[in-house]
This record gives sequence, structure tokens and C-alpha cells, in this order.
Amino acid sequence: MNDLLSVENLTFENCHGKRWQRKGTKFTLGPVNFSIRAGETLAIVGANGSGKSLLAKLLVGLEQPDSGAIYLNERKLEQYDNKHRVLNIRMVFQNSNESLNPGITLSSILEEPLKLNTNLDSQARMRKVEQTLKLVGLLPEHRFFYRHMLSDGQRQRVALARAIILNPQVIVADEPFAALDPSVRSQTVNLLMELQRELGLGFIFISHNLGIVRHISDKILVMKQGKVVESGKTDVIFHWPKDEYTKKLVQAHQALISGQD
Amino acid sequence: MSLLDIKNLTLEIDSQSGWIKALDKINLVINEGQIHALVGESGSGKSIIVKAIVGAISDRWRITADRMTWRGQDLLTMSVRERRKIIRSDISVIFQNPKSSLDPIVTLGDQLKEVILATRLEKGMFWNRAKRRKKYASELLHRVGIKDHEVYMRSLPHQIPNDICQKFMIAMALASQPKLIIADDPTRGMEITDKSQILKLLSRVNQVRKMSILFVSHDLLAISSMADHMTVLYCGQTVESGRMSQLRKRALHPYTKALLESAPSFRSDLPPKSPLPSLGGTIPTFQHLPIGCRLGPRCPRARRECVKVPEVRRIHEHTYSCHFPLHRDKK
Repeated sequence: MNDLLSVENLTFENCHGKRWQRKGTKFTLGPVNFSIRAGETLAIVGANGSGKSLLAKLLVGLEQPDSGAIYLNERKLEQYDNKHRVLNIRMVFQNSNESLNPGITLSSILEEPLKLNTNLDSQARMRKVEQTLKLVGLLPEHRFFYRHMLSDGQRQRVALARAIILNPQVIVADEPFAALDPSVRSQTVNLLMELQRELGLGFIFISHNLGIVRHISDKILVMKQGKVVESGKTDVIFHWPKDEYTKKLVQAHQALISGQD
Repeated sequence: MSLLDIKNLTLEIDSQSGWIKALDKINLVINEGQIHALVGESGSGKSIIVKAIVGAISDRWRITADRMTWRGQDLLTMSVRERRKIIRSDISVIFQNPKSSLDPIVTLGDQLKEVILATRLEKGMFWNRAKRRKKYASELLHRVGIKDHEVYMRSLPHQIPNDICQKFMIAMALASQPKLIIADDPTRGMEITDKSQILKLLSRVNQVRKMSILFVSHDLLAISSMADHMTVLYCGQTVESGRMSQLRKRALHPYTKALLESAPSFRSDLPPKSPLPSLGGTIPTFQHLPIGCRLGPRCPRARRECVKVPEVRRIHEHTYSCHFPLHRDKK
């Protein structure tokens, strides 16, 4: 089976501060290499400020990499070819609460990507919105709702609906479960796994919660200060971590589970 | 003697549709040297309980309780001045989001020095009081595991990482050498190594100084690693309370069970990618609370009797309030 999405030697350099006044602090990401197949899940784990969100942004095209290439279905994603990327790689943002526009109804929120990227007429768009709402477990009536009328879990569902409305092949999610309560979180996890099974999505997500990472991901990418320190199958990394940092993470997680400090 | 003893605490909030019971008959007992966890999802009133304990109460709230005592002294009938004195010296709170609860335009060192009581300093002449204060502050920072105290004391909250900010908050909480520390979700949004560091720090404080900790969170993994007792809240009602080990082994209330099951790490037998057990529906808002047992509409075991608020029942130390508890079906 071919790789759905593969990334080769992706690097990015970012300079903070004004260089003519003092030496700016440099942040370099990468080189990053990974590949996923359809229906697989990749988890990105790492400390704050290790460039996880930056990597997600590079994948969806919010930032342009300095070197390296992203291949989707073995076709290279070029900078000018935004349409192709937008239709196939969608993102769920970190804070679903703040990423939804409070001033417009859900139908307008969900319609926007359709308007910009497809040639559907308004009726077809509405039908698509209703279908997608049903798919994520909301009612068609929810399209008249505004953001503030929904609970946290429902907002997360809307954010997810916005990501899958264009039938993408890959979803990139930046801490999709962080702001959710336990009972709602397991609902969302179930929903994601179900959608993945039905639609064959490739799913890339960032999380701090190693319990969930272990449960749903096939592969893990561990990052530290912009570098990928370890990557591989979830089972392998949890049982035989090689790098010092990964060992620390896994040990901390095990210690929390067994309750011994 | 118990440190803090709360019985049937009810807190009502004035709203357009009349008085809403945000807390409904909460019971909470914290003994000396104990780590007590208060678990609940957002909107279950955890933070409101914290506010009710420290007395940060809005005018539009009405508080009634059968008993709310701090080491035998009644907190509710006390004058504001007396109460503040107790809170100042004996209780300190670590807030949820360190970056937003620290002053953004004052250096961390100045903020830390400000909370140190003059009576905690060594005796000496007034002209080197500032020096002693600084020394005390740096000792506090060493105790919570910050090494470069000089650098961090000069910096502002936005310049330093989140976990160091949280350590500063803990240092500030320890400054007055309190009897009880209320940690309101101290590990929220932290990655796992920082989290386990903060938790270790808190449990060390508990062991070395015999401070009690009321640990408020919804992160069950963090809680189960350190707490000995746990109280589970749902929508302002206490659902179950008891020893941590007992609750984990045999939860009686359906909600506690759902909560424990929602953390996949607790179960090693769970095959990867299998659906997690979860309760349907979402947490009701305070404007639309169901009558009776508030879990009712989401509960898999709900029957007709559940429209009445269940009594609190007790088996030894383990209390629960449910009409149809798990594991106790009548034959």
C-alpha cells in the first residue's frame, strides 16, 4: 500500500527579535521525516515550544518550509498549488471555542469552505452541511445555532465537521482533546476513530495526554527543541524507548499510572 | 480533629429565572496531613467550592450550610475581618492558570516578596529587612526546585515558561506556611514531565510539612497518583466520596465508574483503537438543570425514582448518593 502523506527533510527556520539590535534567538525545526498511510494515526508528542504546532502549520500550509517536501499520494505539494492542499489536508485548531466565529450561525461557518473551494449551488451546500452535521453526531437543526449556544463537546464536533466537510484525506489536529472534560473527551475520541474507520482518514494529532496517544495512535513522533528525537510504532516506543527524553516521558507516564512517585 | 468540615453546603446564584442551586448539599471533610481530591468536570462547581471556602463570594450568591468550620471555628458566622485573618495565615490557593493570575507588569520577585509576612522573617534590624526578605524568597524558590532564582526573580510572567510560573505560584502559596493548600487545577495544560514534577513537589510538601492539600482537578491520572481521598462532584452535587483505593477498585456510583473508565491509561486490557466507554449527552448548563439526581438524563441505570434527589448513604468511610448503585443490586 502506498503512503498517503509523506514528509521528507522538512526544515523551517524562525528568527525572533531584531537582528540589527542584538543577536536574534533562532529556532530551527527539523529535518522532519515521516509517512502515514490511509486510516493511520500519527501522534506528535513533545514539550511546549518544541515546534509541534509549527509542524502542524507547515503541513496545512499556514507556514512555508525553508527546504524539504511534502508528498500527498506521491505527488509533491507545491507552494502555488494551494487548492490541492486545501481540499485534502484540513486542520482542527487548538481551541475550538475561539476558532469558531461567534457572530455567524453554524451553517455559515460550515458553508464557507464549500463556497471557497467547490462549485456547489446553495441547495447542495445546505445538504452537505446537514449531512456533515449528522456525521459528527449533531442534528440538522444545529445549523441555525450560534457558537455560544453549544457546549464544549458540541463545539469540538463543529470544528471537526468543518475539517471533514470537504472530504479531505488527512486531518491535522492541534491538541483536540486538551480543553475537554473526561466524559466528553471519550465521546470525541470515539467519534474520531469512527470517522477514521468510515472515511479512511489519515489523522495527525498533537497531544500531551499519553494515555490517549497510546490508545489511538499507530505511530508516534517525539519532538524536542525542534528536532525529532524518536519516531516509530506506538508499541515499540512505549515499550522500548531509546532516546533519553522519550524514556523520561514514558517513565513519568508509567509512574502516574501505577501511582508511585 | 478535622481541619475543614463542610456539611450540606448550598450555594444559590441569582439569575433571571430565580435562584439556581449551583451547589446542592455538598459535604467535604479534610483532615490534617491529608491529600483530598475534588474531582468533577467543568461546570460541576469545583471552583465555586474553592471560592466559598476562601470567602471570595459575590453579592449575588447566597450561601447556607449546616456546618462550615475551620478547626472548630465557624467560618460562616465569623466577621469578615476575622475570616480574612484565618485565610491569610492558614489557607492558600494555587490558581488554575499561573500566567493569568500573576500580575503581568510586576516582576516575579516583587510579587513573591509581597506575600511574605513580616512575622515569618528572622529577627533583625529594620535596615536589612529587605535583604532578609529576599533571602527568604530565594529559599522558597530553592524549595520548589527553581535553581536560577536570581534570573527568574527579575523576570516578568510572560518571559518564563509555564511550569516555572506554576512553581512560583506554589512558592507564593508556601510563603505563609499554611495548614491547607488549595490547588485549583495546578497541572492544567502541562506536558507530562512538568506535570509529574509539580505533583511530586506537592506530595513532598504534604509529607515534609504535614500540610493538607485540597487538590481540585479533572485529571484523574494526576489525582490517583497522589491523593488518598477523593470526592466526586457532578453538577454541584456530591456523587461519591471515599478512599481513593476503594473508589478505584469498586466505584458505586455510575458516574464515578464512567469517569474512571474515560481514562484509557487505567486499563491495560483495553485493545488499542477500541471505542472507549462513555456516557451519552453532555453536562447540563446551570440554566437547565434536571430535577432530582442531576445525572438522571445521562445515567444508564436511571429509573423513575431518580427524579427525587437520592439520600446520602454510607458504608464505613465510603459515602455515595444514588438510588441504584453498582455492585449492590438486591437479589
